[in-house]
Amino acid sequence: MSKLYLFGIGGTGSRVIKSLTMLLASGVDCGVDTIVPIIIDRDLSNKDLSRTKLLIENYISVSKIAETKQRNKFFKTRIKLLNDDLCLQLMDNTQNFGDFIGKSTMNQENQALVDMLFSKDILQMDMTVGFQGNPNIGSVVLNQFDNNEMFKAFANDFNAGDSIFIISSIFGGTGASGFPLLRKTLQTPNVKDADGNSLSNWGLVNNAYIGAISVLPYFNVGSASDESMVNSDTFIDKSRAALSYYKTEDKKLDALYYIADKQTSTYEHHKGGDAQKNNAHFVELAAALAVLDFVNPKKRNKNTLRDKDGKIKQTVYREFGIQKDASEINFATLADETKTLLVNPLSRFLLFRNYMKLVFDKQYKHQPYAHNRFTRDFRKKDVVQKLEAVQEQFHEWLTEMENQTHKFAPFNITSNKALDYIKGDISCIRSKNILCNNWAIIDNELNLQIRKIDKSLENEKIFIELFFRMSESLIGYKN
Amino acid sequence: MTDLFGSIYCWFEFLFGQNLAEHLWGYNCETQSYSNSNSFSGVGLITLAVTLVVVLIYYYVVNHPRFNRWWSWLITLIGTGFFSLFIGYYLVANDFINGYIGDCLMYIRDEEGNIISYLIRENDCWMFGLANFFVSLGFFIIFSLIFNILGRFIPKLASRNCKYSPF
Repeated sequence: MSKLYLFGIGGTGSRVIKSLTMLLASGVDCGVDTIVPIIIDRDLSNKDLSRTKLLIENYISVSKIAETKQRNKFFKTRIKLLNDDLCLQLMDNTQNFGDFIGKSTMNQENQALVDMLFSKDILQMDMTVGFQGNPNIGSVVLNQFDNNEMFKAFANDFNAGDSIFIISSIFGGTGASGFPLLRKTLQTPNVKDADGNSLSNWGLVNNAYIGAISVLPYFNVGSASDESMVNSDTFIDKSRAALSYYKTEDKKLDALYYIADKQTSTYEHHKGGDAQKNNAHFVELAAALAVLDFVNPKKRNKNTLRDKDGKIKQTVYREFGIQKDASEINFATLADETKTLLVNPLSRFLLFRNYMKLVFDKQYKHQPYAHNRFTRDFRKKDVVQKLEAVQEQFHEWLTEMENQTHKFAPFNITSNKALDYIKGDISCIRSKNILCNNWAIIDNELNLQIRKIDKSLENEKIFIELFFRMSESLIGYKN
Repeated sequence: MTDLFGSIYCWFEFLFGQNLAEHLWGYNCETQSYSNSNSFSGVGLITLAVTLVVVLIYYYVVNHPRFNRWWSWLITLIGTGFFSLFIGYYLVANDFINGYIGDCLMYIRDEEGNIISYLIRENDCWMFGLANFFVSLGFFIIFSLIFNILGRFIPKLASRNCKYSPF
């Protein structure tokens, strides 16, 4: 039972974790049994975070009915929350930076020094919505990870063989500053809690395999409509400055992944809070693939280079690429390895969603697979509703990626046909019955697969197992 | 078996008449005995086989997820019934038209041998077809029940898409 502790810092961290959750829901292979996401963000009210939180809560409920010992892969990887919370709550809740550093309590000389180092705007900046693209502030405020209950829970929960991955963006405030601080804390020996007690298992944490992805600019923001300090004109310069600092991270990480996109979308400008809701982007999906790449046991020797004593010999640097650059990415334009990883799970899960959305209500009364088992009342069960909520979030996620300037559009997302929803020259549909067409093919397969499932399982488990088997039987991409 | 089919058809004797029934039982006017072959068994076996084939086609060949409603089954049932009606009519009308039915069963004649009245008319052949229609419905329902029950006890034998059609 190996675990991956996945730290997502800032808005990009939340969105990449959301993409990873979508991939896991669809059944993408993951090299660990359990993922423990921990989001670090001072802006707890931002919509990106709340959407990710809702998704993960639903995922956890649904994964309880996803069989791991059968063929099923939907929701197979477990997601676990530390202390039932997704966010690492920073102890300090001061509203502005000046109060945080206690400027008003300083003597006159120190106040003058602070005024020299930080502008008035920075000192009065509202930090409840994050650091608004100011990593210099973030690096001061976030330097308190270890003094936290969730950090203690993290240390207690950590076992030999577990690994760590950090997701952050390099062009904002929270991610750029939080990543090196967090890495440093995780590798500092003998860290103590607020009471002065050593954190348990800390030696294991210090020596654990550790990877990270630093997301370079992939979007712009429009001009500010409020007093926000976020300015996308500075993204490249900030990235350059941060990258020059990240050189010092060499040999401190097993693997460091980079990703960026030149074809940027422009988002509405919001400094944070409830209004900060950025549409999903293919870069976030690719960043989530970096997490899967890092935990892939077949790639362990490629992604980690350690000496005999277990010390990091060299950091492995990786970048993500696609087969062919185009304004619209689909399965055909992806590299073979990515195609192999994504085509089947995404297509299968979308087929499941489309069936539930378009066909289930019309057919459940007539089909043997549902007879006395999956009725209207079954669909009203809390866990089934959560499953469908994840499916709707999945559809929304795909739609958002399709609406970006640099689109990821592997599906005819609005298609109401059963098996013509995959774009590009991808041969993966396997329909065997010449008498059936459209959704009848799906019902025919469901009626076949229900016979092969262990009926002693609970109905909810049978349901997911059945739809996985059906989609596996009909969609089988091989490179 | 021959008696069984005859007995079944005789439930509908009121439709096609006693004389046609006698012919089908194999009555020979010359020997005044049932020395001819029993035609009920032929018609019955053909109807049974046709119905069985249609039921097998419905449950295992067409076996379609959009043709597994109660009305799909009913359409197939009635279709089979009409097919059997024409089979019944054809087989009996063949005897009627070709004069294979014994004279004593066909006509009432006077002392000079002139026909006074007809005991079997073509209409009776249609009525026998109608009887065959009902017999085939019975066979169809019985076969459907057998396949339904069989499928519940031996899931591998169950029809994939029509397992619960119509019961």
